Amino acid sequence: MKRLLDVALGILTAIGGFVDVGAVATAGAAGAKFGLGLVWAFLLATVAIMLLVEMSGRLTAVSGKPYAAAIREHFGFKFYLLPLTSELVANGLMFTAEIGGVAIALSLLTGISWHLLFPVAAIAVFLTVWFASFEVIENGPAILGLVTLSFVAAIVVLGGPPREVVVTLWKPDVKPDDLGEYMFLAAAILGAIISPYLIFFYSSGAREEGWSRRSLGLNKMTAIIGMGFGSVTAIALVTLSAMVLGPMHIGGGTLGEVGLSMATAFGRTGTVLFALALLITCFGACLEVSLSMSYNLAQGLGWRWGEHHKPVEAARFNLTIIVYVLVAVAIGLLGVDPLQLALLGSAVTALLLPVALSPFLVIMNDKHYLGDDTNGWISNVGTIGIIVMAFIVAAVSMPLLVLTGGA
Amino acid sequence: MARKLHVMRDLVDSQMLSADGRELGRVADIAGTMAADGSVELTDILTGPEALVGRLGTRLRPAATALLRGRLEARIPISEVKTKGMVLRLKQDAEAYPVGDSEPWIVEHILRFIPGSGYRAWKAER
Repeated sequence: MKRLLDVALGILTAIGGFVDVGAVATAGAAGAKFGLGLVWAFLLATVAIMLLVEMSGRLTAVSGKPYAAAIREHFGFKFYLLPLTSELVANGLMFTAEIGGVAIALSLLTGISWHLLFPVAAIAVFLTVWFASFEVIENGPAILGLVTLSFVAAIVVLGGPPREVVVTLWKPDVKPDDLGEYMFLAAAILGAIISPYLIFFYSSGAREEGWSRRSLGLNKMTAIIGMGFGSVTAIALVTLSAMVLGPMHIGGGTLGEVGLSMATAFGRTGTVLFALALLITCFGACLEVSLSMSYNLAQGLGWRWGEHHKPVEAARFNLTIIVYVLVAVAIGLLGVDPLQLALLGSAVTALLLPVALSPFLVIMNDKHYLGDDTNGWISNVGTIGIIVMAFIVAAVSMPLLVLTGGA
Repeated sequence: MARKLHVMRDLVDSQMLSADGRELGRVADIAGTMAADGSVELTDILTGPEALVGRLGTRLRPAATALLRGRLEARIPISEVKTKGMVLRLKQDAEAYPVGDSEPWIVEHILRFIPGSGYRAWKAER
């Protein structure tokens, strides 16, 4: 019974943890501009994150080592600085965007300007990380995050996608002028779904929860079923934007615009549901990003870490979180729109994925860590495929982004 | 060469753990003495930001030393090492080693001012 509960909880966690501000931003913009023409990117990214989450969980369950610790030990301090720096940059953007997502959700609910709510959101995030146990941090937002299933309900209420929208699934309507934007969004989708912060967080979580070899079944189920269902909610939002925003020629350029599709389905209730979905998923992601950064640094440098310690018992670990929140607030005060920041952060993440993920290939094949549970050829080929694909898409789209001035 | 590989794999970058199970950072570098016959004997393991900067480039190390003046550096005799490997177990409790002094500083100057830090219990224990 306990085991069944663990599996159910793990799956719920994955569903709720899948969607974040990057997913909402890219799903909204992709659906509004290209119909279902970018669903392939979500599907591809989902398979990728399933593989990677499974691997990171397996590594820690078998070896007791989280990913960042294994990188430092295996490749040395010099190499470790590469994934660390790339995480600092990509997560810095994403963390600010996620806090912005919380602020905009609060703004949709209260009518107060999101700029004013930004510091409030940041403080709330910090206090939760400071006071809450790991179980609360992992399961709380995840279970509440099931409100994202209302995206699926909205599609049903609106009578399902019409034929001309469905056709874009295999025949994307991309005009030559829009090709740059199409590629950029594809890269951003890959970066938004294949989040390295999720991988560092997940493997550290396996340690916080004391996983062992016996957890391997749970790990696999969580990765496949959980991420699969999570992907359904993201693709539902693409479909919803394609059905509602596309015909109205609304570009989905702000999070408020993306929310209009829910309002069309459910009226005022729809706006509230969207705001709640945004609030909960972004809040959950804020907790994961800030912790993942601190996990990464503490494990790489060998400090005491973990949410099961009182803050004073793991001083450097907790100080890192404080500093990171302050940096995000400083970036947030510049007033950049969270949706634009999320798109940029996601694309940068995609570009840096090779740095974050290539150590996997070596570590997951090392018998010192994994004994008989090293990677099979599917995982290895899959990992190489993910790295190459994400990098190509991002490398192609980045110059276009710079040329168009980020528009 | 075989010996060097052995040292790299089993010492450098390993997690240091005290006898009472406290994480004491990772080994940043090693120090040794060279005997007249050219053989090298390993004497200490080093930890701290200066040693780490030295890993990036030996020429950067003096700059780091000028800046930090050894305040966060620690040297632990190799004789204190109980077991080698990816986790390096030391013979004594954490108190015995000059490592991780920044932790109490951070607690006393920053964390104690935030409610719920667990400061009172921490202070009482010392």
